[in-house]
Amino acid sequence: MNITGITVLVFFLLLAVLVSMRLTGPGTNFPNPVGRTMQLVLNPIEKGILTVGNTLKRNTKALWSFSKVEQENLSLRQQVDQLTSDNLRLKEQVLAGMRFEDLNEGLFRSPTLDKFEKVGASIINRNPTAWYQTITVNRGTKDGIEINDAVIAQLGLVGKVVTVYPESSEVLLISDGEAQVGALVRSDTGTAAYGIVQGTYKRSSRLTAAGNFQMLFRREDYVNVSDLVLTSGLGGVYPKDIPIGKIKQIMLEDSGLLKIAYIEPLVDFDSLEEVIIVKTNGGK
Amino acid sequence: MRCLLIVIMLLISFVLQGTVFYFWDWFGIKPDLVMLLVIYIALHSRLFTGMLWGLGIGIIEDLYLGYFIGMSAFTFAGVALLSNWLAQRCYKENLLFIVLLVFSVSVVGELLAIFLSLGAGMHWQLGAIVRISVGIACYNLILVPATYPLIHRSFLYGWLRYRPKYEQ
Repeated sequence: MNITGITVLVFFLLLAVLVSMRLTGPGTNFPNPVGRTMQLVLNPIEKGILTVGNTLKRNTKALWSFSKVEQENLSLRQQVDQLTSDNLRLKEQVLAGMRFEDLNEGLFRSPTLDKFEKVGASIINRNPTAWYQTITVNRGTKDGIEINDAVIAQLGLVGKVVTVYPESSEVLLISDGEAQVGALVRSDTGTAAYGIVQGTYKRSSRLTAAGNFQMLFRREDYVNVSDLVLTSGLGGVYPKDIPIGKIKQIMLEDSGLLKIAYIEPLVDFDSLEEVIIVKTNGGK
Repeated sequence: MRCLLIVIMLLISFVLQGTVFYFWDWFGIKPDLVMLLVIYIALHSRLFTGMLWGLGIGIIEDLYLGYFIGMSAFTFAGVALLSNWLAQRCYKENLLFIVLLVFSVSVVGELLAIFLSLGAGMHWQLGAIVRISVGIACYNLILVPATYPLIHRSFLYGWLRYRPKYEQ
Protein backbone atom coordinates (compact mmCIF):
# COMPACT_ATOMS: atom_id res chain seq x y z
CA MET A 1 0.00 0.00 0.00
CA ASN A 2 1.48 3.33 -1.02
CA ILE A 3 1.53 6.58 0.98
CA THR A 4 -1.57 7.97 -0.74
CA GLY A 5 -3.51 4.84 0.08
CA ILE A 6 -2.47 5.01 3.72
CA THR A 7 -3.38 8.70 3.92
CA VAL A 8 -6.82 8.08 2.44
CA LEU A 9 -7.35 5.15 4.80
CA VAL A 10 -6.33 7.18 7.84
CA PHE A 11 -8.51 10.09 6.71
CA PHE A 12 -11.61 7.93 6.36
CA LEU A 13 -10.81 6.12 9.58
CA LEU A 14 -10.52 9.46 11.37
CA LEU A 15 -13.74 10.65 9.81
CA ALA A 16 -15.52 7.48 10.91
CA VAL A 17 -14.18 7.85 14.43
CA LEU A 18 -15.29 11.49 14.65
CA VAL A 19 -18.77 10.62 13.35
CA SER A 20 -18.93 7.73 15.80
CA MET A 21 -17.82 10.00 18.66
CA ARG A 22 -20.45 12.59 17.68
CA LEU A 23 -23.14 9.92 17.70
CA THR A 24 -22.06 8.34 20.98
CA GLY A 25 -21.21 11.39 23.06
CA PRO A 26 -22.27 11.64 26.71
CA GLY A 27 -26.05 11.58 27.09
CA THR A 28 -26.79 9.93 23.74
CA ASN A 29 -27.86 6.67 25.39
CA PHE A 30 -26.98 4.34 22.53
CA PRO A 31 -27.36 0.57 23.03
CA ASN A 32 -24.21 -0.78 24.66
CA PRO A 33 -24.74 -4.32 25.97
CA VAL A 34 -21.01 -5.10 26.12
CA GLY A 35 -20.26 -2.00 28.20
CA ARG A 36 -23.23 -2.68 30.45
CA THR A 37 -22.09 -6.27 31.05
CA MET A 38 -18.58 -5.07 31.86
CA GLN A 39 -19.98 -2.50 34.25
CA LEU A 40 -22.11 -5.19 35.88
CA VAL A 41 -19.07 -7.41 36.40
CA LEU A 42 -16.53 -4.76 37.38
CA ASN A 43 -18.71 -2.37 39.41
CA PRO A 44 -19.05 -4.63 42.48
CA ILE A 45 -15.28 -5.19 42.49
CA GLU A 46 -14.62 -1.47 42.18
CA LYS A 47 -17.20 -0.74 44.83
CA GLY A 48 -15.56 -3.20 47.23
CA ILE A 49 -12.09 -1.78 46.62
CA LEU A 50 -13.37 1.79 46.99
CA THR A 51 -15.08 0.90 50.26
CA VAL A 52 -11.90 -0.69 51.62
CA GLY A 53 -9.81 2.22 50.30
CA ASN A 54 -12.11 4.82 51.79
CA THR A 55 -12.09 3.04 55.13
CA LEU A 56 -8.30 2.80 55.08
CA LYS A 57 -7.99 6.43 54.01
CA ARG A 58 -10.35 7.58 56.73
CA ASN A 59 -8.68 5.52 59.44
CA THR A 60 -5.13 6.36 58.45
CA LYS A 61 -5.75 9.98 57.54
CA ALA A 62 -3.75 11.13 60.55
CA LEU A 63 -0.74 9.08 59.41
CA TRP A 64 -0.76 10.19 55.77
CA SER A 65 -1.22 13.83 56.53
CA PHE A 66 0.19 14.07 60.02
CA SER A 67 1.46 17.64 59.79
CA LYS A 68 -1.80 18.78 58.20
CA VAL A 69 -3.85 17.08 60.90
CA GLU A 70 -1.54 18.49 63.55
CA GLN A 71 -1.96 22.00 62.16
CA GLU A 72 -5.69 21.46 61.85
CA ASN A 73 -5.76 20.29 65.44
CA LEU A 74 -3.77 23.31 66.59
CA SER A 75 -5.99 25.64 64.65
CA LEU A 76 -9.11 23.98 66.07
CA ARG A 77 -7.73 24.21 69.59
CA GLN A 78 -7.08 27.90 69.06
CA GLN A 79 -10.59 28.27 67.74
CA VAL A 80 -12.00 26.43 70.76
CA ASP A 81 -10.00 28.69 73.10
CA GLN A 82 -11.17 31.74 71.21
CA LEU A 83 -14.79 30.58 71.22
CA THR A 84 -14.63 29.67 74.90
CA SER A 85 -13.23 33.10 75.67
CA ASP A 86 -15.87 34.76 73.47
CA ASN A 87 -18.56 32.68 75.13
CA LEU A 88 -17.41 33.67 78.60
CA ARG A 89 -17.20 37.31 77.58
CA LEU A 90 -20.68 37.15 76.09
CA LYS A 91 -22.04 35.47 79.21
CA GLU A 92 -20.45 38.19 81.32
CA GLN A 93 -21.95 40.83 79.06
CA VAL A 94 -25.38 39.21 79.20
CA LEU A 95 -25.19 39.03 83.00
CA ALA A 96 -23.96 42.63 83.18
CA GLY A 97 -26.80 43.64 80.86
CA MET A 98 -29.29 41.88 83.08
CA ARG A 99 -27.86 43.60 86.13
CA PHE A 100 -28.03 46.97 84.38
CA GLU A 101 -31.64 46.25 83.49
CA ASP A 102 -32.42 45.47 87.10
CA LEU A 103 -30.49 48.55 88.13
CA ASN A 104 -32.41 50.73 85.74
CA GLU A 105 -35.79 49.26 86.59
CA GLY A 106 -35.28 49.56 90.30
CA LEU A 107 -33.72 53.00 90.16
CA PHE A 108 -35.45 55.53 92.30
CA ARG A 109 -37.17 58.34 90.42
CA SER A 110 -36.29 61.86 91.26
CA PRO A 111 -37.36 64.98 89.32
CA THR A 112 -33.89 66.43 89.62
CA LEU A 113 -32.17 63.21 88.62
CA ASP A 114 -34.32 62.62 85.55
CA LYS A 115 -33.10 65.72 83.78
CA PHE A 116 -29.49 64.46 83.71
CA GLU A 117 -28.02 62.11 81.18
CA LYS A 118 -26.86 58.82 82.70
CA VAL A 119 -24.22 56.32 81.67
CA GLY A 120 -23.95 52.76 82.92
CA ALA A 121 -20.48 51.66 84.02
CA SER A 122 -18.83 48.51 85.29
CA ILE A 123 -16.43 48.51 88.18
CA ILE A 124 -13.08 47.38 86.88
CA ASN A 125 -10.93 47.94 89.92
CA ARG A 126 -11.04 48.80 93.58
CA ASN A 127 -8.44 50.85 95.31
CA PRO A 128 -5.78 48.38 96.35
CA THR A 129 -4.63 50.56 99.25
CA ALA A 130 -6.49 51.17 102.43
CA TRP A 131 -5.97 54.92 102.23
CA TYR A 132 -8.92 55.84 100.11
CA GLN A 133 -12.31 54.33 99.48
CA THR A 134 -12.32 54.51 95.71
CA ILE A 135 -13.38 52.37 92.80
CA THR A 136 -12.40 52.54 89.12
CA VAL A 137 -15.11 52.31 86.47
CA ASN A 138 -14.80 51.68 82.74
CA ARG A 139 -16.08 55.05 81.57
CA GLY A 140 -13.99 58.13 80.97
CA THR A 141 -13.72 61.33 79.02
CA LYS A 142 -14.51 59.44 75.81
CA ASP A 143 -17.95 58.79 77.31
CA GLY A 144 -18.38 62.39 78.39
CA ILE A 145 -17.59 61.79 82.05
CA GLU A 146 -16.31 64.77 84.02
CA ILE A 147 -14.91 65.31 87.47
CA ASN A 148 -17.59 65.64 90.18
CA ASP A 149 -20.22 63.69 88.26
CA ALA A 150 -22.38 61.83 90.74
CA VAL A 151 -22.33 58.06 90.83
CA ILE A 152 -25.36 56.11 91.95
CA ALA A 153 -26.50 52.51 92.24
CA GLN A 154 -29.87 50.86 92.36
CA LEU A 155 -30.52 51.72 95.98
CA GLY A 156 -28.80 55.03 96.37
CA LEU A 157 -25.75 57.25 96.24
CA VAL A 158 -22.33 55.70 95.67
CA GLY A 159 -19.97 58.65 95.35
CA LYS A 160 -18.53 61.08 92.86
CA VAL A 161 -15.97 61.05 90.10
CA VAL A 162 -12.65 62.43 91.26
CA THR A 163 -10.29 61.50 88.44
CA VAL A 164 -11.07 61.02 84.79
CA TYR A 165 -8.98 59.21 82.20
CA PRO A 166 -9.95 58.72 78.57
CA GLU A 167 -11.41 55.27 79.16
CA SER A 168 -11.86 55.05 82.92
CA SER A 169 -12.65 57.13 85.96
CA GLU A 170 -11.96 56.93 89.65
CA VAL A 171 -14.91 57.30 91.96
CA LEU A 172 -14.56 58.42 95.56
CA LEU A 173 -17.12 56.53 97.62
CA ILE A 174 -19.23 58.48 100.06
CA SER A 175 -17.97 56.17 102.75
CA ASP A 176 -14.55 57.81 102.47
CA GLY A 177 -13.69 60.33 105.13
CA GLU A 178 -12.89 62.89 102.46
CA ALA A 179 -16.34 62.64 100.96
CA GLN A 180 -18.98 64.95 102.29
CA VAL A 181 -22.52 64.98 101.04
CA GLY A 182 -25.08 67.67 101.66
CA ALA A 183 -28.04 65.74 103.04
CA LEU A 184 -31.48 66.13 104.53
CA VAL A 185 -33.79 64.05 106.66
CA ARG A 186 -37.51 64.46 106.37
CA SER A 187 -39.41 63.91 109.55
CA ASP A 188 -42.94 62.58 109.86
CA THR A 189 -44.23 66.12 109.83
CA GLY A 190 -42.57 66.77 106.46
CA THR A 191 -40.04 69.29 107.69
CA ALA A 192 -36.50 68.76 106.52
CA ALA A 193 -33.42 68.81 108.70
CA TYR A 194 -30.28 69.64 106.74
CA GLY A 195 -26.75 68.56 107.45
CA ILE A 196 -23.66 66.95 106.04
CA VAL A 197 -23.14 63.22 105.81
CA GLN A 198 -19.54 62.12 106.27
CA GLY A 199 -17.84 58.81 106.08
CA THR A 200 -16.05 57.84 109.24
CA TYR A 201 -13.11 56.16 107.59
CA LYS A 202 -10.46 58.42 109.00
CA ARG A 203 -6.88 58.14 107.94
CA SER A 204 -5.76 57.27 111.40
CA SER A 205 -8.10 54.36 111.56
CA ARG A 206 -7.95 53.13 107.97
CA LEU A 207 -5.82 50.12 108.61
CA THR A 208 -8.44 48.87 111.01
CA ALA A 209 -11.07 50.10 108.68
CA ALA A 210 -14.48 49.91 110.24
CA GLY A 211 -16.51 52.91 109.48
CA ASN A 212 -19.95 54.29 109.13
CA PHE A 213 -21.76 57.38 107.98
CA GLN A 214 -22.58 60.02 110.43
CA MET A 215 -24.49 63.28 110.33
CA LEU A 216 -24.73 66.10 112.81
CA PHE A 217 -28.04 67.74 113.73
CA ARG A 218 -29.06 70.48 116.03
CA ARG A 219 -30.50 69.19 119.22
CA GLU A 220 -33.97 70.52 118.40
CA ASP A 221 -34.08 68.90 114.93
CA TYR A 222 -36.78 66.30 114.78
CA VAL A 223 -35.18 63.12 113.49
CA ASN A 224 -35.85 59.51 114.33
CA VAL A 225 -34.20 56.17 113.93
CA SER A 226 -35.12 54.60 110.55
CA ASP A 227 -35.62 57.99 108.89
CA LEU A 228 -34.36 58.06 105.34
CA VAL A 229 -31.39 60.30 104.59
CA LEU A 230 -31.41 61.87 101.11
CA THR A 231 -29.10 64.20 99.25
CA SER A 232 -30.13 67.80 99.67
CA GLY A 233 -28.85 69.00 96.31
CA LEU A 234 -27.01 71.81 98.06
CA GLY A 235 -23.40 72.20 97.07
CA GLY A 236 -24.08 71.46 93.41
CA VAL A 237 -22.32 68.11 93.22
CA TYR A 238 -25.10 65.62 93.91
CA PRO A 239 -28.62 65.96 92.53
CA LYS A 240 -31.40 66.27 95.07
CA ASP A 241 -33.33 63.38 96.64
CA ILE A 242 -30.94 60.52 96.08
CA PRO A 243 -31.17 58.10 99.00
CA ILE A 244 -28.02 57.74 101.09
CA GLY A 245 -29.02 55.58 104.01
CA LYS A 246 -31.21 55.07 107.02
CA ILE A 247 -30.60 56.44 110.50
CA LYS A 248 -29.51 53.56 112.67
CA GLN A 249 -28.73 55.28 115.92
CA ILE A 250 -28.93 58.81 117.33
CA MET A 251 -26.68 60.04 120.13
CA LEU A 252 -26.02 63.34 121.78
CA GLU A 253 -22.63 64.84 121.14
CA ASP A 254 -20.29 65.34 124.10
CA SER A 255 -21.05 69.04 124.23
CA GLY A 256 -24.75 68.30 124.38
CA LEU A 257 -25.54 70.85 121.68
CA LEU A 258 -25.63 68.56 118.72
CA LYS A 259 -27.02 65.16 117.91
CA ILE A 260 -24.98 62.62 116.00
CA ALA A 261 -26.96 60.28 113.77
CA TYR A 262 -25.22 57.13 112.67
CA ILE A 263 -26.41 56.17 109.23
CA GLU A 264 -26.52 52.74 107.69
CA PRO A 265 -25.81 53.02 103.96
CA LEU A 266 -28.39 51.63 101.57
CA VAL A 267 -25.76 50.56 99.05
CA ASP A 268 -23.62 47.53 99.77
CA PHE A 269 -20.33 48.94 98.53
CA ASP A 270 -18.53 45.60 98.74
CA SER A 271 -20.81 43.80 96.30
CA LEU A 272 -21.20 46.55 93.74
CA GLU A 273 -20.48 45.47 90.15
CA GLU A 274 -22.22 48.12 88.08
CA VAL A 275 -23.05 51.74 88.74
CA ILE A 276 -24.69 54.60 86.91
CA ILE A 277 -22.82 57.82 86.38
CA VAL A 278 -25.03 60.88 86.35
CA LYS A 279 -23.59 63.56 84.12
CA THR A 280 -24.34 66.36 86.51
CA ASN A 281 -21.75 68.64 84.96
CA GLY A 282 -22.04 68.26 81.24
CA GLY A 283 -25.02 66.11 80.39
CA LYS A 284 -27.99 68.29 81.24
CA MET B 1 -3.89 -18.30 27.49
CA ARG B 2 -1.93 -15.25 26.30
CA CYS B 3 -5.07 -13.48 25.13
CA LEU B 4 -6.93 -14.33 28.31
CA LEU B 5 -4.08 -12.97 30.39
CA ILE B 6 -4.05 -9.73 28.40
CA VAL B 7 -7.82 -9.36 28.84
CA ILE B 8 -7.45 -9.97 32.58
CA MET B 9 -4.66 -7.39 32.72
CA LEU B 10 -6.93 -5.00 30.82
CA LEU B 11 -9.78 -5.51 33.28
CA ILE B 12 -7.40 -5.10 36.22
CA SER B 13 -6.20 -1.87 34.64
CA PHE B 14 -9.78 -0.59 34.42
CA VAL B 15 -10.39 -1.49 38.05
CA LEU B 16 -7.11 -0.02 39.32
CA GLN B 17 -7.64 3.24 37.46
CA GLY B 18 -11.04 3.70 39.01
CA THR B 19 -10.10 2.60 42.50
CA VAL B 20 -6.48 2.56 43.66
CA PHE B 21 -5.45 5.50 41.52
CA TYR B 22 -8.53 7.36 42.65
CA PHE B 23 -6.75 7.50 46.00
CA TRP B 24 -3.28 7.98 44.50
CA ASP B 25 -4.13 10.68 42.02
CA TRP B 26 -1.82 13.63 41.62
CA PHE B 27 -3.88 16.83 41.57
CA GLY B 28 -6.60 14.89 39.78
CA ILE B 29 -4.24 13.22 37.31
CA LYS B 30 -4.15 9.43 37.16
CA PRO B 31 -1.96 7.19 35.01
CA ASP B 32 -3.38 5.69 31.84
CA LEU B 33 -2.72 2.05 32.63
CA VAL B 34 -4.54 0.83 29.54
CA MET B 35 -2.32 2.96 27.33
CA LEU B 36 0.71 1.58 29.17
CA LEU B 37 -0.53 -1.94 28.49
CA VAL B 38 -0.99 -1.15 24.79
CA ILE B 39 2.54 0.27 24.63
CA TYR B 40 3.97 -2.87 26.25
CA ILE B 41 2.03 -5.14 23.88
CA ALA B 42 3.11 -3.08 20.87
CA LEU B 43 6.74 -3.24 21.98
CA HIS B 44 6.56 -7.02 21.95
CA SER B 45 4.46 -7.57 18.82
CA ARG B 46 4.71 -6.94 15.14
CA LEU B 47 3.39 -3.66 13.80
CA PHE B 48 0.07 -4.93 12.49
CA THR B 49 -0.57 -7.22 15.48
CA GLY B 50 0.25 -4.42 17.90
CA MET B 51 -2.12 -2.05 16.12
CA LEU B 52 -4.85 -4.68 16.16
CA TRP B 53 -4.36 -5.13 19.91
CA GLY B 54 -4.47 -1.35 20.35
CA LEU B 55 -7.64 -1.13 18.32
CA GLY B 56 -9.31 -4.00 20.18
CA ILE B 57 -8.32 -2.78 23.63
CA GLY B 58 -9.44 0.72 22.65
CA ILE B 59 -12.86 -0.53 21.54
CA ILE B 60 -13.24 -2.44 24.82
CA GLU B 61 -12.34 0.71 26.78
CA ASP B 62 -14.76 2.78 24.69
CA LEU B 63 -17.56 0.30 25.37
CA TYR B 64 -16.67 0.12 29.06
CA LEU B 65 -16.70 3.89 29.40
CA GLY B 66 -19.88 4.02 27.33
CA TYR B 67 -19.31 7.17 25.30
CA PHE B 68 -17.17 8.56 22.46
CA ILE B 69 -16.93 5.14 20.82
CA GLY B 70 -13.87 5.02 18.63
CA MET B 71 -11.79 7.58 20.47
CA SER B 72 -9.71 5.15 22.51
CA ALA B 73 -9.66 2.65 19.66
CA PHE B 74 -8.14 5.15 17.24
CA THR B 75 -5.81 6.56 19.90
CA PHE B 76 -4.49 3.18 21.01
CA ALA B 77 -4.03 2.05 17.45
CA GLY B 78 -1.92 5.18 16.91
CA VAL B 79 -0.07 4.57 20.17
CA ALA B 80 0.70 0.99 19.16
CA LEU B 81 1.92 2.17 15.76
CA LEU B 82 4.22 4.80 17.25
CA SER B 83 5.49 2.47 19.99
CA ASN B 84 6.31 -0.26 17.52
CA TRP B 85 8.00 2.19 15.15
CA LEU B 86 10.17 3.57 17.99
CA ALA B 87 10.87 0.09 19.36
CA GLN B 88 12.37 -0.98 16.06
CA ARG B 89 14.99 1.73 16.53
CA CYS B 90 16.21 0.78 20.00
CA TYR B 91 17.28 -1.91 22.34
CA LYS B 92 14.23 -3.06 24.32
CA GLU B 93 16.30 -4.17 27.31
CA ASN B 94 17.31 -0.58 27.96
CA LEU B 95 15.00 0.60 30.69
CA LEU B 96 15.96 4.26 30.28
CA PHE B 97 14.97 4.16 26.63
CA ILE B 98 11.67 2.47 27.49
CA VAL B 99 11.00 5.15 30.11
CA LEU B 100 11.57 7.89 27.52
CA LEU B 101 9.54 5.97 24.96
CA VAL B 102 6.61 5.57 27.33
CA PHE B 103 6.73 9.25 28.23
CA SER B 104 6.82 10.49 24.63
CA VAL B 105 4.25 7.98 23.34
CA SER B 106 1.95 8.80 26.29
CA VAL B 107 2.17 12.52 25.51
CA VAL B 108 1.39 11.88 21.84
CA GLY B 109 -1.41 9.45 22.73
CA GLU B 110 -3.06 11.87 25.14
CA LEU B 111 -2.71 14.71 22.63
CA LEU B 112 -4.32 12.51 19.98
CA ALA B 113 -7.22 11.69 22.31
CA ILE B 114 -7.63 15.38 23.13
CA PHE B 115 -7.51 16.24 19.43
CA LEU B 116 -10.26 13.69 18.73
CA SER B 117 -12.36 15.00 21.60
CA LEU B 118 -11.99 18.51 20.17
CA GLY B 119 -13.34 17.15 16.92
CA ALA B 120 -16.26 15.67 18.84
CA GLY B 121 -17.14 19.09 20.20
CA MET B 122 -15.39 19.14 23.57
CA HIS B 123 -13.64 22.32 24.71
CA TRP B 124 -10.15 22.37 26.13
CA GLN B 125 -7.92 25.13 27.39
CA LEU B 126 -4.27 25.04 26.39
CA GLY B 127 -3.10 24.87 30.01
CA ALA B 128 -5.36 21.91 30.71
CA ILE B 129 -4.15 20.12 27.57
CA VAL B 130 -0.51 20.47 28.62
CA ARG B 131 -1.25 19.61 32.24
CA ILE B 132 -3.21 16.47 31.41
CA SER B 133 -0.98 15.12 28.64
CA VAL B 134 2.30 15.77 30.46
CA GLY B 135 0.84 14.78 33.84
CA ILE B 136 -0.45 11.42 32.63
CA ALA B 137 2.78 10.79 30.71
CA CYS B 138 4.81 11.52 33.85
CA TYR B 139 2.66 9.19 35.91
CA ASN B 140 3.02 6.45 33.26
CA LEU B 141 6.78 7.06 33.22
CA ILE B 142 6.97 6.55 36.98
CA LEU B 143 5.21 3.20 36.67
CA VAL B 144 7.60 1.87 34.01
CA PRO B 145 10.47 0.76 36.33
CA ALA B 146 7.97 -1.12 38.49
CA THR B 147 6.06 -2.83 35.69
CA TYR B 148 8.19 -3.12 32.53
CA PRO B 149 10.82 -5.64 33.74
CA LEU B 150 8.09 -8.10 34.80
CA ILE B 151 6.04 -7.67 31.65
CA HIS B 152 9.10 -7.81 29.42
CA ARG B 153 10.27 -11.04 31.04
CA SER B 154 6.81 -12.52 30.73
CA PHE B 155 6.66 -11.55 27.02
CA LEU B 156 10.03 -13.19 26.47
CA TYR B 157 9.83 -16.30 28.65
CA GLY B 158 6.54 -16.36 30.54
CA TRP B 159 2.83 -16.62 29.97
CA LEU B 160 2.71 -13.64 27.65
CA ARG B 161 5.24 -15.15 25.24
CA TYR B 162 3.89 -15.60 21.74
CA ARG B 163 3.72 -19.27 20.87
CA PRO B 164 3.32 -20.19 17.19
CA LYS B 165 0.67 -22.80 16.37
CA TYR B 166 3.22 -25.52 15.78
CA GLU B 167 4.58 -25.14 19.34
CA GLN B 168 1.22 -25.60 21.01
